[in-house]
Amino acid sequence: MSRRRGWTAARARRLVQLAALALFVALFLAARESRGWAADWAAKLFFLLDPLLLAATFLAAHAVPLLLLVSLATLVATVLLGRVFCGWFCPLGTIHDAAGWVVDRVWPNRKRRDHWSPWQRTKYYLLAAMLVMALLGVRAACVFDPLVLLYRSATTALMPAAQWMIEDSSTAVYQAAEEHVAARAVSAVTEPSYAMFREHVFVAPQQAFLGGGLILAVFVALVAANAFRRRFWCRYLCPLGGLLGWFAWRPWLRRATAQATCNQCDLCAMKCHGAAAAPGGEQWKPAECFGCLNCTDACARESMTMTVAPPWRPDPQAESVDLSKRAMLAAMAGGVVGACTLRITPQGRQRTPAAELIRPPGARPEREFLARCLACGLCMKVCPTGGLQPALFEAGLEGLWTPYLVPRVGYCEYNCNRCGEVCPTEAIEPLTVAAKQQVQIGLAAFDTTRCIPYAYARNCIVCEEHCPIPDKAIYFVEVEVPQRDGGKRTVLQPHIDAEKCIGCGICENKCVFRDQPAVRVRSANETRDPKNRSVLPGETGPY
Amino acid sequence: MYPCCTRRRFLAQSAAATGAVALGSRPLLAAPVPLGDKPAEMTIARWTGAKDPAPAQIKEIAVKLTEQAIAGLGGLKRFVKQQDVVWVKPNIAWDRTPELAANTNPDVVATIVRLCLEAGAKTVKVGDNPCNTAKLTYENSGIAAAARDAGAKVVFLDTTRFRKVDIKGEQVKLLPLYPEIIEADLVINVPVVKHHVLAKATLCMKNYMGVMDDRQKFHQDIAACVADLTRYMQPRLCIVDAVRALMAHGPRGGKLEDVKTLLTVAAGVDIVALDAFGAELMGKQPQEIGTIVAGEKAGLGKADYRRSALRELSVS
Repeated sequence: MSRRRGWTAARARRLVQLAALALFVALFLAARESRGWAADWAAKLFFLLDPLLLAATFLAAHAVPLLLLVSLATLVATVLLGRVFCGWFCPLGTIHDAAGWVVDRVWPNRKRRDHWSPWQRTKYYLLAAMLVMALLGVRAACVFDPLVLLYRSATTALMPAAQWMIEDSSTAVYQAAEEHVAARAVSAVTEPSYAMFREHVFVAPQQAFLGGGLILAVFVALVAANAFRRRFWCRYLCPLGGLLGWFAWRPWLRRATAQATCNQCDLCAMKCHGAAAAPGGEQWKPAECFGCLNCTDACARESMTMTVAPPWRPDPQAESVDLSKRAMLAAMAGGVVGACTLRITPQGRQRTPAAELIRPPGARPEREFLARCLACGLCMKVCPTGGLQPALFEAGLEGLWTPYLVPRVGYCEYNCNRCGEVCPTEAIEPLTVAAKQQVQIGLAAFDTTRCIPYAYARNCIVCEEHCPIPDKAIYFVEVEVPQRDGGKRTVLQPHIDAEKCIGCGICENKCVFRDQPAVRVRSANETRDPKNRSVLPGETGPY
Repeated sequence: MYPCCTRRRFLAQSAAATGAVALGSRPLLAAPVPLGDKPAEMTIARWTGAKDPAPAQIKEIAVKLTEQAIAGLGGLKRFVKQQDVVWVKPNIAWDRTPELAANTNPDVVATIVRLCLEAGAKTVKVGDNPCNTAKLTYENSGIAAAARDAGAKVVFLDTTRFRKVDIKGEQVKLLPLYPEIIEADLVINVPVVKHHVLAKATLCMKNYMGVMDDRQKFHQDIAACVADLTRYMQPRLCIVDAVRALMAHGPRGGKLEDVKTLLTVAAGVDIVALDAFGAELMGKQPQEIGTIVAGEKAGLGKADYRRSALRELSVS
């Protein structure tokens, strides 16, 4: 905290941080099932500013999604100003700052150990391992990019928790108001505000995500680590921080300490967000500095200033983080081992397509999909039925938290192509609605031991009436079924037309059986994988 | 012949009809029971103007047909009391555009909303429990925008708000119904005429399946279940939209070839009679349709709509 009154640089920085966080939240809430006030590029804006995602996509998928080139601007800013992205802009960094601020108030007299620790080099080694993995085609470590991590946590954990609270509390008030007059005054307030949330904020009713607890646990653990060290994540682990640190080795914007007036009180180091200041002032590590300007604010003797100097002029007060060659080589070897580990299973080698792994429409072939997908959760956020879910092991360890359709939770809406529109790396291709309606993501099959007209000789037809294909991928055969008493009953038994079925899963979603639907979609016949196309097309289609 | 007919009345009517034919006044002939100025119990408004109207024209025609069909019943003042809360219940089931006739025509809905407000209703709410994502379905069906413009409150049904109600049916006892609908002073049932694989046609009675949740089980005995629900709902006014009808691949459709432009709107108080009329539009005999048979058996109305106080209107 600054000791000075009035307008200080650090206060200005805090305002910018809050504004960036507010922008993140606004764009997050605007990413919905239909395009609102925010254009698609705006919905993925924070990913477009992330050069790590550009690098990983380039290395792993040998592709450069054009919009991601915007992230070069972040690199330019870093070369000029240092890691200001971390200190001024990154919404996850702001959340860590806020958490640290809370910790300081809850626990004011704890012993602060805010000086540089050699363990802060970890993030550079992790980054090296990650980039080596990406070079070998395994982009999986990108799930720990800070913006990806925050977006996924917000989508699959924070938002559903908030939604649950709002939905169920207002429902409780609503039900109480039916019986108690007193509750009506409360419901007169809660009902309109709930309606606002339902219609303008929430995407799908009761949106929830499989394994959201694990994602929440990771997020909470990282935020809680601020009690151990301020901005623990940013100092020790963040791979994007590591990448920007590389580019901030000699920024134009520099810290200068006037040795004549400095009494080595260490106030600057105590306030330093990145633990970039050496004890006793003077020396600093540009690669670790977030440009938070706490040091210049904290200095009681005003002996510390920010200056501008061209990169060819060396900075005598700057220190390197001194990465060890040996550790770096070990990290890169670790990256190779990591890549191997993710590929040693049959699923990792993609010898067997997973039956339950129904990828969103427009998803590229699995290998290429995994090379691009960040598991950021943007597609899951906008899915109007809430059917897109984060995979745990369904896609192998490499596919952790990547999206797949769980028809029991939500089906793929026929007229919707939002997942492809918002995907920042085009892991899901942006298809027109008409093109998307031609893509088969799976194939439905009846479980005749459960399906009512087969197993219980009654008519049902729920699946057929919901089938979105204009010509219907489900058709009926009228059959006489023998009864227990020897009589016969005529029923319509449904069948799947494998050529027409696109695997949207609405049949499974609406099936009268709730525990295990009697019609289930599996990934067979998915357009993107010729090896998984099991049913020969009929006379009309070429093989 | 008609049960009410005496020989004297028959002779008098015959004389009147002959006279009317001689004078070239046709409407008298069209109505089997002369209504005079009395309000009808059922009206059928048919477009007899230019054939194959352009899509923009269909909008105007839908408005005119709806206005005429309601006027023939004596106007909405007959049903709507001052300060009433009216729930207009169209079929908003599918994420399809209006031309595909999978949902009620938005202009028919908007006209009803406007007439309700003109008749003195305090609030007119429009809503249904769609099969597809509610927000997309409400928007793409065109109904949300049209109803809002006409002054209605467009209500999204909330899955957590359904209330278990004992409807005391023969097949169905406890059913989760939407409180806001069953508590409305008047529910106007506004279905679109559609093909349905199981029920053969989906009309007024089946349209009530939009006020409930957990409806998948209904199909196993659809006629009895729908009749139970209809009895509980006590229909007072139904308006059948046959501006466009979905003749095949119903109830969801999706192909223009399956849509027939019939340019007809019927309104009435007898739900079974209206369903019978709708079935005939689909080229079906009313007795083929399970829900109609079950409805008649349950005493909800008479399928032979020609015997009710019917007024047929030509609109051009």
